[in-house]
Amino acid sequence: MKRIILIIFTTLITFPVFSQFGPGFIEQCATNSGKDATYLKDFQVVLNAAQTEQLTPIARYPLVLSKNNIYRFSLCTPEDSPGKAILQLYDSNKLIFSSYNKDTGEEYNPFNFLCQKTGIYHVFIYFLEGKQGYTVGILSYVSK
Amino acid sequence: MVRKTIIYFLSMLFLFSCQTRKGKESGAEFEVPDSIITAEALTISDEALEEIVQNVSSPVEMAALIKELGVPFSTKYLATTDYVDKYNTSFKMAYSLGVFGADLGYLNIYDKSTQVVNYLAAINKLADGIKVGQFFDFETLQRLTTSRESIDSLMFISVNSFNNMDSYLRENARGHLSALMIAGTWVEGLYLVTQVANEKNNPQLSERIGEQKVNLNNIMLILDNYKEHVQVAEVIESLNVLKEEFDKVEITYELGEPESVEEGGMIMIIQNEKSIVNISDVQLNKIISKTKQIRNKLISL
Repeated sequence: MKRIILIIFTTLITFPVFSQFGPGFIEQCATNSGKDATYLKDFQVVLNAAQTEQLTPIARYPLVLSKNNIYRFSLCTPEDSPGKAILQLYDSNKLIFSSYNKDTGEEYNPFNFLCQKTGIYHVFIYFLEGKQGYTVGILSYVSK
Repeated sequence: MVRKTIIYFLSMLFLFSCQTRKGKESGAEFEVPDSIITAEALTISDEALEEIVQNVSSPVEMAALIKELGVPFSTKYLATTDYVDKYNTSFKMAYSLGVFGADLGYLNIYDKSTQVVNYLAAINKLADGIKVGQFFDFETLQRLTTSRESIDSLMFISVNSFNNMDSYLRENARGHLSALMIAGTWVEGLYLVTQVANEKNNPQLSERIGEQKVNLNNIMLILDNYKEHVQVAEVIESLNVLKEEFDKVEITYELGEPESVEEGGMIMIIQNEKSIVNISDVQLNKIISKTKQIRNKLISL
């Protein structure tokens, strides 16, 4: 019985989190990348808080980027998200760029990437200090 | 109390088992008996498959490159929607859905709203045909097109409609239709860029075509999962002809560290690691002609 109550309670708690990403919200994010950019895809992220400092939950997405294209990466985070979202772009296991510089505290949202190597890349999205949070990452194609 | 609970559970079990069966039955009306396919043994896991699907680049990027090169819009590159009613098998419907999806991307990039409506209607019909019409928001897309609202909204809803159709098909043991849809999209995108390259000699186009080797390998991995379906096996056979040509294309890499510059108040990361595509004119011409043959064969009735 306790278990049932717990399940119902958890559902009630998590439901508002998922409802943040109604089609309207993500569509709005998709249209906010700038006049010079065309929406390509989005990454919807909902992460729980880290259990320990070492285990920050991370969402990982593969994507193919093409040479000579400029891509824009942006994060669209609802105001009530507890954690600050960070987007990192990786080529294999090599970090290319992070939207947040932990040394200076500077944020780069959005940032552009001039791709010179066609191939598979990975986008990592997580929340600062392993906090719980929700955000939408947007990938756009930037016209030259 | 215990008795009531057991009765309740049994009723729920019965109810859900009926729903599951109903879902399978709806698949059985297609030419390919999907209910049998439920037992198909995928050679790679669902997660790996999902990752590979994400690793096929968007045909929109091809269309955008063509537009940036100053190539005027032409309907001659597009597949006609005139015979959409004659696509009467799930194979033809799924494959053509992908083809028209790629054409839709080209039309959107060139902002051709008049033609877009025809393609939206064709896609809607095909999506209904393979029972995924509920994921295609035809009315909203039509409204966005005719009112010439934000291209991003149009792109967002189109991309999400296709993603939802794709996920639904894979989750409901109709992954072979999703694979065909993805293959159709990619072949049409390749056809578009190769046709333009045939008329306009441009190193960027040649390089983009050569790079499709990466995408083709991913497409083959996806299709290979469903090779027990005769129609998928036929597509694999056709694409193998193309793969033979792409295998001759060499891609080499030059190492370098990324650098960042500020442009118009925004940070731009410039990648200095480069891929270099070595594709000869002979190889390019073979790819152009074979793509044309395969594309026309696969969309023929």
